[in-house]
Amino acid sequence: MLRIEKLKKSYGKLPVLQDLTLHIAQGEIYGLLGPNGAGKTTTINIICNLLQADSGAIAINNQPVSEATKPLIGVAPQENLLYKTLTCEENLNFFARIYGLPAKERQKQVQACLAAVNLADRAKSPVETLSGGMQRRLNIAAALVHHPKLAILDEPTTGLDIEARYEVWELIRRLQNQGITILLTTHLLDEAERLCQRIGILKNGRILAEGSLAELRQLIPAQEIVVVQTKDEESAIARAKKNGFIHRRYGNDLAFWLPEHLELKEIISRFDGIPLDSIARQPVRLEHIYVEVTQA
Amino acid sequence: MKYWRETLAVAQRILIELLRRRRSLVFWSIFPISVLILNGFILAERAKLSMAEAFENAAPSTLVGAALFFSCLGGSVATVVAEREQQTLKRLFISPLSGTSYFLGIFVAHSCIGIGQTLLVYTVAAFWGAGFKGSLLLGGLIILLSIVSYVGVGFILGTQLARRTEDVNALVAAFGVPLLMLGGAFLPASLFPKTLLDIAKLNPIYHMNEALLGVSAGGDGLTKIASHFWFLAGFAVLMVGGGWLSYRRMLRVERRL
Repeated sequence: MLRIEKLKKSYGKLPVLQDLTLHIAQGEIYGLLGPNGAGKTTTINIICNLLQADSGAIAINNQPVSEATKPLIGVAPQENLLYKTLTCEENLNFFARIYGLPAKERQKQVQACLAAVNLADRAKSPVETLSGGMQRRLNIAAALVHHPKLAILDEPTTGLDIEARYEVWELIRRLQNQGITILLTTHLLDEAERLCQRIGILKNGRILAEGSLAELRQLIPAQEIVVVQTKDEESAIARAKKNGFIHRRYGNDLAFWLPEHLELKEIISRFDGIPLDSIARQPVRLEHIYVEVTQA
Repeated sequence: MKYWRETLAVAQRILIELLRRRRSLVFWSIFPISVLILNGFILAERAKLSMAEAFENAAPSTLVGAALFFSCLGGSVATVVAEREQQTLKRLFISPLSGTSYFLGIFVAHSCIGIGQTLLVYTVAAFWGAGFKGSLLLGGLIILLSIVSYVGVGFILGTQLARRTEDVNALVAAFGVPLLMLGGAFLPASLFPKTLLDIAKLNPIYHMNEALLGVSAGGDGLTKIASHFWFLAGFAVLMVGGGWLSYRRMLRVERRL
């Protein structure tokens, strides 16, 4: 559905994208992760034909990106880009008209989109009267009203409470079931973990790692991770080294990679003599992979 | 067809937004009516005219020199700035909407507002016995050219100079009010000293006023108002061109997510 080959883009002398290559298959949810300034927004701008790449190729549904490919894409930006005084229905109707949907189809599609984002009962409500979560869902509906083949969701749940976040996740899964290809950018790694079939980690304009979560887990030679709290971290690290455990810091947490699955008793015994305040076992998560890849 | 469809969508959206802000709608109605009544009574008293003649003379300047200025120029700037402030411009950038349709949409919406204000001003003037003496077609054309000019200027200011709503007020205060006064919107240009009149001749609002005044109150034809009409037509073309270039420039600078 989306093919990006060796894309390069610089702002003046500052390279933003360096030989960026990524392929997204039809119906896939692809998570594009990366720190601020990694090049995610520049990539989206180029996909949307708002920016020209310096070199490389980019095609959507086998068509090189141009003004003609705009109707193939639906973008839900980070901010809710909606007309606040218009109702939900009027907003969607306006965007559907811009994309050239005929009147009859437009009516149907507007109602279908409102239903899809659970806002059918708020169709006549002005946007300014909706909650943040509802506005976010309408923002996504506005991106879908013209039947795009590729939906780009830029941080779709940032700033939402957990209930609203669940609703948006559910919506994204429903979109995938309808065959829509989704490019998701997010800073919420658990979100990417839950939703994405494949994930690409972007830094300095390059994809540093890419694959399914299972494939990405191979980047960390650990079966499990234990996070320990101790007043004597130096001794704990020294003991871990002796045991063949690699240590890492995740924020303030001291963690050790366990190369094999061990019973809790066994783990505690390996730190015998070191005062441990707590010990927590975790599976290898995207957060650990992300830190490993971006801080390497 | 694409342009027409997009133009109507943009125009309808602007008008719906305006209808939702009923208070603005009421103020936009009060403004020309109050200016017309004040101008009419001042003219009747100071120029020793009958009420009908006074309101025939007051209506054109009130309409093109004051009402349309604020609704079409101020309104266009406000539309572009509001789109920028609530960031909906970004969504329009990622859509296939063309700049031409966007401009035409703003023009059509403000033409509707302008037509509404025209009807309002001339209905109130008719209440004091004023009529429209010249060709309705020519009068309509002058009003349309005035709206095109104002929307063009509004587009230039909105895309190039005004970033926030406060900028709109500052721009109107800095450039608009002096131009209106110099255009004869509040005081007939016939009362201006010669030097000021020479300067006023460079002001498009002066030509809008004089052209419509000639047709509306004097019953003049195109030949008699030719210099004003062609100045206005040239200015309208220039402003549409300027507006289009400004929009292109804005696209180059701001077309990003």
